[in-house]
Parts: sequence; structure tokens; C-alpha cells
Amino acid sequence: MLSYADRIASMRETKIRHTLEKRTQNGFTDLDDFGTVPLSEGYEVLPYYNSENGSFYGAAAMAENFCRVLDAHEAYVDPMEMLCGRWRDMLVNYRGDIHYMPDWMKKNEKLRNFVAGDVTAQWSKRWDEKRFPYDDLKPLQKLYNIQTGIDGDAHFACDYSIGLELGFGGFLDKIEKYRTINKGKDEFYDAEEKCVRAMIRFIDRHIAKIDELLSKEKRPEIADSLGKMLKCCKNVRTDAPKNFHEACQWVSFFNCFSRIYTRDGAGFQLDTVLLPYYENDVKNGVLDDETAKFLIANLLLIDPHYYQLSGVDAQDKDITNHLSYLVLEAADMINISCNLTVRYHKNCDQEFFKEAVKYLFKNKNGWPRFCGDAALLDGYMKNGVSKEIARERIAVGCNWMCVPGREFPMNDTVKINIAKVMEVALAELKTKKERSLARLKEIYQKHLKKAVEVTAAGINLHLDHIADVTPELIMNLMFRGSLEKGEDASRCAELYTVGVDGAGLAVVADSFAAIEERVEKQKLLSWDELFDALDNDFADERIRLILSSCAKYCSGEGCADNHAKWLTESFADAVRVQEMPYGRVLVPGWFSWARTIEYGKAVGATPNGRKAGEPISHGANPNPHFRQDGAVTAQSNGIAAVQLGYGNTAPLQIEFDPKISASEGGIEAVMSLVKGHFERGGTLININVLDSEKLLAAADNPDLYPDLVVRVTGFTAYFASLSPEFRQLVIDRFLEGM
Amino acid sequence: MTKGIVADIERSSLHDGPGIRTVVFLKGCPLRCEWCHNPECIKKEPQTLFYSEKCIGCGKCEEGCFSGAKIICGKEMTTDEVMKMVLLDKSYYAEDGGLTISGGEPLMQGEFTLSLAKAAKEHGIHTAIETSLALYDSEVLSSFDLIMFDLKLPDDERHRKYTGIDAKIVKDNILKCSELGIPMLARTPVVIGVNADAETISEISDFLKKVPNVYKYELLPYHPLGTVKQKALGISVRKFEIPTKSLMEELNNYAFIR
Repeated sequence: MLSYADRIASMRETKIRHTLEKRTQNGFTDLDDFGTVPLSEGYEVLPYYNSENGSFYGAAAMAENFCRVLDAHEAYVDPMEMLCGRWRDMLVNYRGDIHYMPDWMKKNEKLRNFVAGDVTAQWSKRWDEKRFPYDDLKPLQKLYNIQTGIDGDAHFACDYSIGLELGFGGFLDKIEKYRTINKGKDEFYDAEEKCVRAMIRFIDRHIAKIDELLSKEKRPEIADSLGKMLKCCKNVRTDAPKNFHEACQWVSFFNCFSRIYTRDGAGFQLDTVLLPYYENDVKNGVLDDETAKFLIANLLLIDPHYYQLSGVDAQDKDITNHLSYLVLEAADMINISCNLTVRYHKNCDQEFFKEAVKYLFKNKNGWPRFCGDAALLDGYMKNGVSKEIARERIAVGCNWMCVPGREFPMNDTVKINIAKVMEVALAELKTKKERSLARLKEIYQKHLKKAVEVTAAGINLHLDHIADVTPELIMNLMFRGSLEKGEDASRCAELYTVGVDGAGLAVVADSFAAIEERVEKQKLLSWDELFDALDNDFADERIRLILSSCAKYCSGEGCADNHAKWLTESFADAVRVQEMPYGRVLVPGWFSWARTIEYGKAVGATPNGRKAGEPISHGANPNPHFRQDGAVTAQSNGIAAVQLGYGNTAPLQIEFDPKISASEGGIEAVMSLVKGHFERGGTLININVLDSEKLLAAADNPDLYPDLVVRVTGFTAYFASLSPEFRQLVIDRFLEGM
Repeated sequence: MTKGIVADIERSSLHDGPGIRTVVFLKGCPLRCEWCHNPECIKKEPQTLFYSEKCIGCGKCEEGCFSGAKIICGKEMTTDEVMKMVLLDKSYYAEDGGLTISGGEPLMQGEFTLSLAKAAKEHGIHTAIETSLALYDSEVLSSFDLIMFDLKLPDDERHRKYTGIDAKIVKDNILKCSELGIPMLARTPVVIGVNADAETISEISDFLKKVPNVYKYELLPYHPLGTVKQKALGISVRKFEIPTKSLMEELNNYAFIR
């Protein structure tokens, strides 16, 4: 008889097989795994286009294409699992954009030609430029290397409690009810209804598939499980989920739909939203903890959505509960890359906090991560939001927050490359007679203001028209006021606290410090020599070293930390003074994870000794080699001091090999680090306790892991900075200690 | 204001005592262990280390080296200057973590070591010392919450041969130190050809077992990382074989567990 553990092992094997198959189908990808399964044989979708540029826009076309893609999805049922349904393909693949096209689509010539049409230089056809042009904004967007957010989607969170209360049938009833109240909005309601009906068809295909598998199933325990799965799917087909199993299945189905539509990965507070179902089932004696854990593990396997655990309520009372612990145990069972965030607050259950840290050591998979409830709450309330609402704001993206169902923040889609802004300022300073760091900072601020202005114009264009381009038909179903008003989430949100992030903080802070130290104080270089060196991309290595050897941001020494604070204040000021219409507010942050290589390519040599085209710094993190000992506490202090203070994050990202085991005090040390960072006002921590494979991969190619810190002897150092001889010594010792 | 010669200050250490610690490495050591992993801390005076592989050959050494090839080890610092660095991480020390004074041999700069320990205490910070106990100073040692020390060899002859002084001096100091009533952590660096045999470890262990305040005895495998620094200092390099994991496991059978 197969136990839950046997079934989990089988599910993990299937997952590995899928990953390999997907690599064959899609090629290598830098994107999230998303929990997709490979395309089934013969899968094909011919999209409907309503734009002459080879794309589709607006509610009717989006709904039509969503239905075509969803209807083409074969049912996915694995008898080892208790939940069913997976997604395989997404709508964005069909929007005429060769850059997003997966390999399997490129290989299908008919489809490729049909979808890509005439490939233009335009990066994305996700925006309807013919109807909503922004040629006037493009020159400055390019000058300051701005990621505009125009055409972005899904960067908000819906309120799962709405869907769990209504079910898919409840959505249809609500659409019908408000269609009659809000006359003249038929295109919106037709589109919503069409999508929901396609969802129910998707569930029906699963019911048929389970029936088929059940008729052939010989193993009694699996037949029993399939029987329960069948009943569950029949119950959630139109009705609201009534128990824990149904709630997990309902969420899994919904996640498939929102992923197919816009790759949305925003989840919810797992341990409170699902708690009523859990408690009720346990009270009625129909659910035990082992089954609950298996269901959660299944939910996490199906899709790595962003889920939260623990934290405090609006009265600062701990909300950690038994289910919080079960989620951690379930994540441990399935042990894949989970996007679990533990909310830390001094009032929280410290035992739970310790359990969470234990799993960092046990699995070395980078989960969970931690967010600081206190600083995030205090900051977000500065936007005029009540404490009750601010407390609902949770981490639902890689480094960003949102109030589910109420806020439309475009978070993580809008970035200003401040290294590029500095480059523009330096070019202007070069033409001046009076050259000083003070003057450079003034010019930088002038350009930053212009960069924020053009960014704001892009945001407003997006918010004004995204409903006509890419309405959020799926997430609207669980967004407050959307169905009630017949409006897209982008038009009916209670909160437009729109995130604007700076990228390249460490590059600019270290550049200012190098200028202050080497040019102004020590006069080792003249301004002309500096400009020449930047122009010739440091043809003289000694000049580069003079600049790069200054004390860096996060070192706790020298002036770079003060420059980082100044950059933070000036960025926050520039963003906050920007006037916005219709109650929109801009919220500054420092996170920029995915595109630092791309941003770096746009920036020439910088005064911190960075050569032209090299990547810029990550998020709020320091540059590599910021201290010889790579001290995580120094990094934590530096980053805690550059928090923008309005509820968005400046994350602390740490990858380290503590070289001590959990039982030798490793857990307590990491707990101290997390607590210390949050006490100092930190907002988000991503900790990666290092594994041996990574170190060995770095041994072959150190440049792959420029931030890898290793213990050497009385000190720790960056692996990539060590001489080959030293590196070998470290590897030998590491292998010896394994 | 008390001053001392500091070789380095390492923050976020997880290996020099419990919790998260700041480790202050002081210069100067009376021993001359052949396997020394911090040879830049032997002399009390500042020294220049030269890492040839980092040199870019610009020929402008006199105007300053910025490549990291030429590094001066040893800086005079006041107690306040060091404490400023130590206090940067106060948020992370919790109850266990804190300040560790290491070296070199911290007792070579006894007054400075005492001053740092007292200053840390005033801030409520846990203090630990890593000492060879080749020297003894009850006032300095009793100002610490934890004493981590080495016993490298049990007999005078070999101890003198490999470190320069008799084992008796260290053993006497260990016994005196135990009377201070402070928790003591004993360690032996395991070096093949010197002490990596069951008999030697048993003998050391037998001695340490009788020292009441020693709560733990650890064997640390020799590692050759100090040789890179020896080369940079221009002193003769002696490499020992690295103890295998199985050898360490075997020897651990002879090290007592309290």
C-alpha cells in the first residue's frame, strides 16, 4: 500500500522528469519554473488577432484567446496526487512578440509565422501603440534607461477569500447580477463570463479524466484517493469549496487560470485564509494532519505562488497557528523551490520563527524568506493607509508587496537605472568649468527629477489605458469592486500606491565615494583624468584600481554608506514630490533583481572602477568585495540604513556558507541576524544557506558566483577574488569537511 | 587612552566562539608553531605582505599600491576605535554572541586586551578570548566570559620542538586559569607528523579531563591556508599533510567528551 511518503517521492520524480522535458521544449530559461507541465502531443492554438500589428488587445479579444488556450489544455491528473490540474502554456506567447516566444513555438513554422508576423524592432507588442502611443516619452525613457511598466500585467494581488466564498458558479451569478445593474458594460461582463465558463469546462475535462482513470485503477488506496478527487472536483465545479481538500483544489484551479492569462504568481496568507477549512474539518473528524500536509505539499507542487505565513494582526497580536507549522512541514516534504515568506514581528511565535530558520539549513533551498512586519507597516501607513489595511499588505512577488484585492501597485514593473542617471550627470559635468562632487550631485538630482517625471508619465499612460489593452479578466473576479462596478482592477482599485524602484544603488554610492576620496580629498586623480579613464574604459588598470579600492557601500567604513543614504533620501524625495492624478501615489523602493545585466549593458564605465557594460549592483545589495570578510552583519547594517520608508522594500539578499551546522548554533546565528536586521528597520531578507554543489560549480567557474563568500582562515573572503591557489585550498578543505 | 596593534577585525564570525561575533586579531605571539595559520600575527610590529599574483606590475609601489598586492598588516588603534567597530554589530550578538579577542596571542598586549574586555562588558557584550596560554595574566583572563585555549602537545620535548616553549608552561597556566572559575574550551590543532596519533591525543585528553572548568575539548584539523600568508611574508613555508575526515573521526574517539 502506497503511503503519503511514497506518493510524494513519485510526485518529485515526475517533477524532475517534467523539468527535463520542458528544457527540451522551451530551451534554457531564466524565468521562474511556474509549476508548468510539458505541452501534450498535438497541442496547438491558433490565436485570434484584432490588431494589424499581429497582436490582440481588449477584453473581448483577451477572453477569446484565453478560452482558446484554456480549451486546448488537456486535463492533467496524476493518481499519485490528491489535487489535479496544471497549466502548460500562456497567453503572452501569442501576442506577436518573438522575444517571449518559447522554443517549441519557434520550431513550429506555421505557428511562428502566424504569431510573430512581421518581426519589428519593437520589444513588446503587448502594448497597443497605435491607439496609445508614447513616442514623446521614449527619448527620455531611453536616456535614463527606464523600465516603464507600460504593458506590464499581473503585478498586484487578488483577494482569494472572495473566490473561496463564491466559487466559479458564484462568479457567474455575480456577473449576471451586476450586468443588469451596470448597463452598457456588456463587453466587460461578456468577457468575464466567457472566461469563467471556459474554467468550468476545464474542470469538467478533469472530472472525465478522473472517471476514466478510476475505472482502471486497481490499487485500493489510489482508487479511494481518485474517488475523493472526483467528488472534490464535482463539488468545486460551480459551488464554493466547503472543506480543506476542496479549498486547496479550488485554489489550484484558479492559479492555473490566472497563470495562463498573465503568469500571475501572487498568492495569499496561506495559514489564515485556509485556517477555517482546516479547523472545521478537524473538528468534524474528517481531516488529520498527515492528510492536510499532503494536500498542502500538493498545492505547493502545483504552483510556486507566493504564500505568507505567521505575522501579526492589526492589534499586533500573533496570528501564527498550527496550520503555519503544517505548511512548513509540507514544504519540507515536497522540498522544491517554494516561495514561502515568513512575516517576522517581535510579538510572533518565536518557536515558529526558529522552525522556519531550521528549514533554511535543512534543505538549503532558499526557503523560507523573511519580511519585517514592523517597518513595512509603518512605512505603508505613511501613504495615508489605515493600520488595518496596511496589515493586510503581504509579500506576493519576488521582492514586492500588495494589499490583496484593494491595491493596484504595478510593483516590480517600473525601474529607474540610477547608474544611467549618474552617467548623464557626469556627461553634463564634463562640459562645466566648475567640477566638484557637490555640483555632480546637484546635476544628478536635476536629471533624477526628469527621470521620475517621465516615469510618472509612463505610469499614468499605463493606468489610463491598460484596461483597454490587457484587462485583468481573471484577477478581476477576486478584486474588490471590479465585478460590482463593471470595471477592470486597474480602474477600480482603492489604492494606487505605485512602486517606482531605483536600480544601481551600490554602483552610484561607490562612485561618489571614489570621487570624494580619490579625486577631491586625496587628489590622486584630477577630474580630467577621471573623465579620460571613463571614456577609455580604464585603459590604465592602475587608475581603475585606485578608484575601485575605496571603502564601499555596506563596509561600515569610509563615506560610501553616507552617499548611499543620501541617494536613498534624494530618490525618496524625487519620487514622493512627483504629483500624480486621481489619488495615485508613487512609492519608492530599491529592488532590481532580474535585469541587472541588461541595465549594466546600457551604462558605460563608472567611477567606482566598474567597466563599461558590466552588470550593475543587485537591488539594495552592495557590490561584490564590499568587505574582505564579506560580513553579513555589515551588509545588514548598510541595507537597513537605506530603507526608503514608505512600505516598499530594499531587500537584504545573502548567500553564505555558515560552515557550522544547525545544531552547532547555526540556527541561532541566523535568527540573530534576521532579528537584528528587522530591529534596524529592514524590510525583506532572502537568505541562501549555501550548498556544496554551488561551491563546486563555482570552483569550475568562479565568475558564475561573484557574491560567493567562503571562510578562508581567520577571515572570510569572496571566492572569486581569491587566487587560483587559494581557491583550491578552500575547495580541498570543503571537500574534506563534507 | 589604551592603544594596541591590531592585525585585523573580522565581523560576522560564526567560528570564534558562540553566536555571531566580532573578532579582533591582535599582533604578537611568543610561540613559533610550524603550522601557524596566522603567521602575520607573530610579530608585534606592522608588516608588509606581498601577494605577487595580484601585482599588476605598474612600477609605482612608492606612490601607493591599490591592487591588493602589498598589504600592511598591523595598525595602531585605541580602545574606542575598536569598540566603535564592535558596537556596529550589537544588534546581532543576542545573548551568546559578542566580542572575541584573538591573535597572535592577546596576552602579549595584556593591557589593551583588558581594556577591550572591560569596554565590551560596559556595553553588556559577551566576551571571549582565544589564547595559547603560553602567557598568564589573571586580571586579564578573569575579565572574559569564555576562555578558548590550545594544548598542542602533552610533553615538553615535542612542545618545545614545534612551538618553542615547554608544555609545562602551558599546562601550569591551564591549571591556574581553571581556578578563575570561567568556562574553558580546549582545542588541539591536529597536525600529521606532530600530534596526529591516538597516544598523543589520549595523553592531552587525559590531562584536560582533570581540569574542572574545561567544558569541551575539540580537535581541529590542520589546514594549509597559513602557507599562502607565509609566502606573502617572505618567510619559509612548511606544508603539512591535511588530516583526512576518517583520521579526525578516529582521533575524536580519544578526545574526551564532558
